[in-house]
Amino acid sequence: MEAWLAILLIGAVLCAIMAIRSARLLAAAIWLAGVSALVSLVLYLLGAQIIAVIELSVGAGLVTVLFVFAINIAGEEAMDLRGLVPEPLAVVLVGVAAIMLGWMVLPALGVIPPLAESPFSELLWQDRGLDILVQIVLIFAGVIGVLGLIGEAPRAVPAHPPGEAELEAGSESLKEIEA
Amino acid sequence: MANSLIILLVIGLPWAGALVVWLVGDRRPGWQHRLAVLFSAAAAVVATVLLFGATDRPVLTIPLGPVFGDMTFIPDGLAALLTAIAAIIGCLAVIFSMDYMRGEQQLGRYYALVLFFIGAMIGLVLSGSLLQMFFFWEITALCSYALISFNNDDPKAVAGGIKALVVTTLGGVGLLIGALVIVGYTGSYQIADFLAQAHTLPADVLALIAFGFLLAAAAKSAQFPFQTWLPGAMEAPSPISALIHAATMVNAGVYLLFRFYPAFAAVPNWTAAVTLVGLASVLLAGLMALAAHDLKRALAFSTISQLGYMVYAIGAGGLFASQFHLLSHAVFKALLFLAAGAVIHAAGTRDMRLMGGLGQKMPLVRAVFVIGALALAGVPILNGFWSKELVLEAGLVSDTPWVIGAILGAGLTALYTARMIGLVFHGQPRSELPAHDAPPAMRFSLVVLAAGALTTWLLVGPLSALFARTLSAVYGIHALTLLEMIEEVLATPATWLVLLLVALGFAAWQQRSWLAGLAKALAPIAWVASHDFGFEWLNRQIVRVTMGTAEVTRITQTGVLGWNVVGIIGGLIVVLALLVLVWGA
Amino acid sequence: MTDTALQIIVIGVLGLVGVGLYGLLAVRNLIKVIVALQIAVKGVLLGLVAAGMASGQPNLGESLAVTVIVADTIVAVVGLALAVQVRRHVGTLDIKALSSLQR
Repeated sequence: MEAWLAILLIGAVLCAIMAIRSARLLAAAIWLAGVSALVSLVLYLLGAQIIAVIELSVGAGLVTVLFVFAINIAGEEAMDLRGLVPEPLAVVLVGVAAIMLGWMVLPALGVIPPLAESPFSELLWQDRGLDILVQIVLIFAGVIGVLGLIGEAPRAVPAHPPGEAELEAGSESLKEIEA
Repeated sequence: MANSLIILLVIGLPWAGALVVWLVGDRRPGWQHRLAVLFSAAAAVVATVLLFGATDRPVLTIPLGPVFGDMTFIPDGLAALLTAIAAIIGCLAVIFSMDYMRGEQQLGRYYALVLFFIGAMIGLVLSGSLLQMFFFWEITALCSYALISFNNDDPKAVAGGIKALVVTTLGGVGLLIGALVIVGYTGSYQIADFLAQAHTLPADVLALIAFGFLLAAAAKSAQFPFQTWLPGAMEAPSPISALIHAATMVNAGVYLLFRFYPAFAAVPNWTAAVTLVGLASVLLAGLMALAAHDLKRALAFSTISQLGYMVYAIGAGGLFASQFHLLSHAVFKALLFLAAGAVIHAAGTRDMRLMGGLGQKMPLVRAVFVIGALALAGVPILNGFWSKELVLEAGLVSDTPWVIGAILGAGLTALYTARMIGLVFHGQPRSELPAHDAPPAMRFSLVVLAAGALTTWLLVGPLSALFARTLSAVYGIHALTLLEMIEEVLATPATWLVLLLVALGFAAWQQRSWLAGLAKALAPIAWVASHDFGFEWLNRQIVRVTMGTAEVTRITQTGVLGWNVVGIIGGLIVVLALLVLVWGA
Repeated sequence: MTDTALQIIVIGVLGLVGVGLYGLLAVRNLIKVIVALQIAVKGVLLGLVAAGMASGQPNLGESLAVTVIVADTIVAVVGLALAVQVRRHVGTLDIKALSSLQR
């Protein structure tokens, strides 16, 4: 089982890297779906079947559909891919943080045998009752978000990359939205 | 009897209404008006039913797991009374809005927030758990902000809203700290548990909680020294002012003080501090009301002043008197704001110097405004008279010299009330204003409230019996029949002194030409009062310092996502390094 | 679950979160930002479930994972809705151009 876990996780990390590096948005969304599917397989292997199924249907399914939908509306955009932070700094920072965490956490790891615990459904619905309430509020916010996504009639999007003056006007209108 | 369904309905109906009105969309304003009235009226009916089913036991408990305790809803007499006030006065404000907001843009946002506000206030007073109370507390702050800056293309409205949000959130921090300390020491989120165990807490801890809650209450009820947000809130549409000043929001502070009074009464200096906060608000706001030119600002200052009486009553131990005055105030102040709204709606200005002689053109509005104003001034036999006398009597019983200030405040109230009526409705018109009497929906709300101002004092018997039945164990409130109240009030010499002062106040306005010399001598006080006793200046300084600091630290906020993430990861590395150093050593 | 399996998973979690954070640093397109966020959260999700199992409380870990999935999905939905509206109103998805805090 360890070998399977290792293969699946390497696959997930590779998919993640491809999702970040791909130039096209649509491809990034598909790679993300791959990450999600592989993670849910790992969850299944670990024995968390319920979570695996939810993650597969919601993470790999619904969210991907939403991504494709949103990219279709917003449109691909040719863009200079260089980040706003110097590339070496980004790599070094993330690398240092990950290596420090790994160095500190890995030697201390150890599995302890399962404790007596309430069944999953009882724990979810009763002991974590506040989570459920907050989730309901979140889902409500999500519904409003979807309404925002599809509610307004699409407006003409400038075909060419906007010039400086248009950007200025754009940020003005953004401020108006915020206000 | 009260059961969980009633609780769910009384909070759920306004909130469901908020959702429905918003979903109906701004293209169908007629339906929005009707649905908002429907849902708020239904909530008002349920709230009335709840009054008859009040109990001191939780009737609805929602378990949140072992970590956060249970959500409980306890409709005791206090909660049921404030629920009824929020729902019924809120409903009348909504009915009034049908005419007032006719033809306005974005009705969906307006009604949704109003209904959300009413529901949150009801949830706040019914809360039996501190966590839940804090949530509802902050929702009311959010709604008041959003409604005060409803006209969000007007910079003054936005500034007023932000001011209200900042001040009340500052108070919310006091509530949060107090609540966290309570949970830390008692291990329970239930208010009832805290009230039962309060005497076991260390004295300094209890004092911290008590003064934290006083801060929260003073900020919410716009008491000294946090009174400045309420006049700024006048940029809101008039029904919103009625809602904030009478039905919801400001009542929350007085409610909080009442709710926790048994726990804090023994804290040294706490009752004295509450008394003084109330008294300072009564007198300062009374003077400011006398100097204000804007009709709604004058009313706002009178709200601060009347809330001061309630806070003063709690400091003096007159718990029932404070809530009875709250009821009277809710009715007559909603009436005054709605009537003022009708005047402003017709005249198109809020400046009292431009009004005058409007009485002939809008007789009904004048009649109800005068009823409300006389109740505010404490003229017998209107509801404000009885409740204010009960407050002053509580002050006398508590045997502190501060009652003199409270009695003087009553005279001041009469003077500024007379000035308001005189400037708006009497005398010669000072400019050509288009005035007409109120349209039907406005008229309905006004007449109902005017009837209330004339009669709610008759409810003292059942109301105090309700309080005695559900609150006597912890709060020690005894029933008081109508006859007993009348007897008590008439037998107190202070009553006659107050009546004399009220008469003097009215006479001073009538004979103001004779008193011109005196007025001139007092001009410096008037000048200071019209500049809010320097509190506005103080606020501006605080804002200036804050903004200055923000300009300096602005350099860290590039607005570029990448650099923010760099900050997050850098922070993570620093924390890890610290852990390594600590663990490694 | 064995100790080795746990170590493999923790390394995988670090890899996913690391790639996600790197993505937040390296991309400029608003939709790609949401993709990077999703990747990081997938790592966290796996980490929560694994931590629940390693500490002997698998059900607690899983019930927290449900919350994470819900929150994560909603972040994606709201983020995408925002991106679409930004694209409509401003005409670009470049987060550098969108920053209004700059002077």
